[in-house]
Amino acid sequence: MTTRNAEIVSVRDLEKRFGDFIAVNRVTFSIARGEIFGFLGPNGAGKSTTIRMLCGIITPSAGTGQVAGFDVVRQSESIKQTIGYMSQKFSLYEDLTPAENIRFYLGIYSVPERQWEERTRWALDTARLQEMRDRLTRELPPGWRQRLALACALLHRPEILFLDEPTSGVDPITRRRFWEFIRELAGQGITVFVTTHYMDEALNCDRIVMINEGRVVAIGSPGEIIAEACPGEAGATLNEAFIRLMTKPKEGVME
Amino acid sequence: MLIHPRNVQAVARKEFYHIVRDYRSLYMAFALPLVLILLFGYALSLDVDNVKVVVVDHDRTDLSRDFASRLDASAYFRLVATLPDDRAAAAWLDAGRATIALIIPPRWTEAIRSNREAPLQVLIDASDPNIGSISRGYINSFVERYNRRLLADFLDRQGLENLHPPVEGRVRVWFNEELESRNFIVPGIIAVIIMIVGAMLTSLVIAREYENGTMETIRSLPINAFEFLTGKAIPYFLIGMTDVLAALLMGQLLFGVVMKGSFWLMILASSLYLSVALGLGLFISIAAKSQLVANQIALLVSYLPALLLSDFVFPVENMPRILQAVTCVVPATYYIDILNGLFLRNVGIGYLWPSYLVLLAMFAVGAAAAVVKMRKEGL
Repeated sequence: MTTRNAEIVSVRDLEKRFGDFIAVNRVTFSIARGEIFGFLGPNGAGKSTTIRMLCGIITPSAGTGQVAGFDVVRQSESIKQTIGYMSQKFSLYEDLTPAENIRFYLGIYSVPERQWEERTRWALDTARLQEMRDRLTRELPPGWRQRLALACALLHRPEILFLDEPTSGVDPITRRRFWEFIRELAGQGITVFVTTHYMDEALNCDRIVMINEGRVVAIGSPGEIIAEACPGEAGATLNEAFIRLMTKPKEGVME
Repeated sequence: MLIHPRNVQAVARKEFYHIVRDYRSLYMAFALPLVLILLFGYALSLDVDNVKVVVVDHDRTDLSRDFASRLDASAYFRLVATLPDDRAAAAWLDAGRATIALIIPPRWTEAIRSNREAPLQVLIDASDPNIGSISRGYINSFVERYNRRLLADFLDRQGLENLHPPVEGRVRVWFNEELESRNFIVPGIIAVIIMIVGAMLTSLVIAREYENGTMETIRSLPINAFEFLTGKAIPYFLIGMTDVLAALLMGQLLFGVVMKGSFWLMILASSLYLSVALGLGLFISIAAKSQLVANQIALLVSYLPALLLSDFVFPVENMPRILQAVTCVVPATYYIDILNGLFLRNVGIGYLWPSYLVLLAMFAVGAAAAVVKMRKEGL
């Protein structure tokens, strides 16, 4: 089922319109297996819309795309089975305990029942919630809930993990731990697709796509993007490159 | 669309946790139905008995006293006071302390004996028209019977005891021999309770996912609309059927209402009707996306019609044409028709199948609409 080639995600001219509004405008990029891939852009640039198309939640208006070898238009059900997704807003059930939330995911992801105990233990260890397993999720601090959400998205050992602004509203120490964990996942061969506002975080990515008003404005490794956006400026930061790219008059920079 | 039982099971289990954690939904599911049975069963008695009567006896003869005491002895009337004058009687009616004031005029007995017309003034409080008209019927037939008795006495004394009135109606009441409205009310309450559990409670469940942002998670998971909605409905189906059995049991224990027909036909009808309610509630929930709005809509389109437009409280035959047409699309109409058949008339599927078919069709339409709507919402 799964493509064994290097590209786990590839989209071509992907487009999403809501009425007259073009949220995502002919976006083209590809992601290699095991990459940490950053998706950067200001609010309303089309980051969430793109991620939701890739996860099979909404259907593209035009263009083509494959995720883990499945077509984003026709095989959304298979995509959902293969990926993990964590939305921007915390979206576990707060009136359930961590263990009950995990059990819900295990059931929906069709994890074989004999693995449930082992996977539950793994998830609670990963989220460091072992002693909180029978408390209600709403009693947990926000950072802890986020860890639980991440663990739930990994319960079925997805090939690719989509994270929509996973660190917004999280303290710096938790953020650093979070990125350590992401690198660990990538080390295990899991591809990570992450959107973020934070430029210091984006430096953790192998490659980055910057989008603005639904269009790709830059693509490459953080170093390549800085060099391209701020030519001849030694010591320019990704932050400066970002601001320059976002304020520049529109022109699509394609790969 | 493939159906994975495990997905249905996972959603049902999760939904069950939600119910257990939320005491308000538990109250709605179990306490409210019990309260309704007690309330309707005891308070909404449509029967009229022991009508309170005051008598003003201007005649003061043996016959007038006999008339009053026979009235008091009847099961339908209770003599609460004998008053000195008409003004006092009017005051009792005004105060609502009596429903009927009976005024026996002076020289009433004399008029009867001398074969003249002997009018009797009866004042009835009809501020509740139902009680008023029933009381009028009671008093008319009481006077009628009293007349016959006087006539029979007279004929006796003339030695004509074998003379009979030419026509005598032999009335037998079928299906609800004691004319007890409770026998009719219990099925109605069950219909209302099922709507509360089926439609009012489920109208919250999808809207809650939207309000908490968990709908986005559901959309990202490998689960389809049918599995999701079925899983959501299952706990409420079980609660609803528990309530049906509890209502049946309470009807029998508290009100002595015993179902004459088949228990399994009753269970089949209840399952169908409950499924209609569940489909309706889920559809409203998906469309409204807000618990408050969904609950208001559910109240308007499920609970109130079940109560008001189903032949339960108000007879459909007396409604204007337009409302009569509306009752045709109220599921409770068909359910109550089946229940009355089973509870009172002891008829079988041979008579009741059209109502079963209508409920089945309503369920099919409602469930399909909910699934289609859910898929349009991206599931």
